Amino acid sequence: MCIRDRVSTQSTWDINYIREFMGFKRFVQAGRVAYINYGVDHGKVCVIVEVINSTRVLVDGPTLGVPRQVISLRRLALTDHLLKVAKGIHTKSLEAEIKKADLVKKIGESSWAKKLAAQKRRAELNDFERFQVMMLKRQKAYLVNKDVAQAHSKGAKKAKKAAKPKEAKSSQQP
Amino acid sequence: FFFLMIRRPPRSTQGVSSAASDVYKRQVSTQSTWDFQWCQRRSMGKESKSQFSLKKVKQYILVGRAKPVAGQKEEPKVYRMRVFAPNTVIAKSKFWTLMRKQKKIKHTGGELIAIHEVIENPSKSVKVYGIVLRYQSRTGYHNMYKEYRDTNICGAMSQMYMDMAGRHRAREETIHIVRTCVVPESKIKRAETKSFTNGNVKFPLLNRISRPPIKKFKAFARAKRPTLFLQQNNSDS
Repeated sequence: MCIRDRVSTQSTWDINYIREFMGFKRFVQAGRVAYINYGVDHGKVCVIVEVINSTRVLVDGPTLGVPRQVISLRRLALTDHLLKVAKGIHTKSLEAEIKKADLVKKIGESSWAKKLAAQKRRAELNDFERFQVMMLKRQKAYLVNKDVAQAHSKGAKKAKKAAKPKEAKSSQQP
Repeated sequence: FFFLMIRRPPRSTQGVSSAASDVYKRQVSTQSTWDFQWCQRRSMGKESKSQFSLKKVKQYILVGRAKPVAGQKEEPKVYRMRVFAPNTVIAKSKFWTLMRKQKKIKHTGGELIAIHEVIENPSKSVKVYGIVLRYQSRTGYHNMYKEYRDTNICGAMSQMYMDMAGRHRAREETIHIVRTCVVPESKIKRAETKSFTNGNVKFPLLNRISRPPIKKFKAFARAKRPTLFLQQNNSDS
């Protein structure tokens, strides 16, 4: 029985329906870890403590450098990480939960964090380092192009071989 | 000035009191907010710089009375009122408007004993504020009860003013606040408020836009085309 058969019996706002039918995986909920995209604390990670309404939430980030505050959802980018906390959790309890879940390490390991770190590093490069990057890029491009050329030539050869018997076959037929 | 302070202002007005001055009498939540000492200006806790809250109004406590007249036996009664206003000027104005209408004490015949701003501690928890108000529409007066989720009363008030303006075209001047309270979960009336008070509330974020992290980086013209589609809900971070 596919999801569409179940749709009529379930409420459209049932969270499982939303997840399966609409394909959303990240939700604004108590315990959701989010990046702050805008404002004074941008670039920092925080935990949604409580949802105030459809536009604002109460967030907190005890060891993450974010004071407990009300923030607009427009300023947040949700991540995959979700802490199992009750809504309205106090800062101290949240700190313990963050430690328990080893959130700082998990966030650091995510590709998102790595990209941000790379961007930051790129912005901090000095002129010599930029020159080095250019040389390395050139070397990498050379190696890549070399392989591509080889594969291309191999493919061309294969195509020729495949084409010959076909030609032979087609030439044989009247 | 100081000899007037000998008599402590009463906790509540005696006799028949208007809805406005009755505000603090019929509050649902029993708070010691009306203790005179508590009304003193308190030092605000360290609020973060990026505290995101609508603060259209501030909360003031105004204490005033009629000027004592020579030959009068009794000292004039002192009245205390809680006012939501953007600043002290408007707060005083609102105070005297109601004193005039309900107590027949004019600004010229009265004196303001004290005005204190009530500063709530910075946001720690979200509460549901119930506001009873009376506003003047184009055709008459109406009473309303509205609920708002917020961390402080001023934020809830600001929400109310915005809401009234948007929904009913009621400007601030036409709105009189009758009563405010912190509503416990079991007594919430509005479905929307109830749904957000639920601990399991969950919803995805839609229509995400990419914007520069600081206002300074906002550019009129850019070399690259804009990113219209942010892959934020399905892919892994």
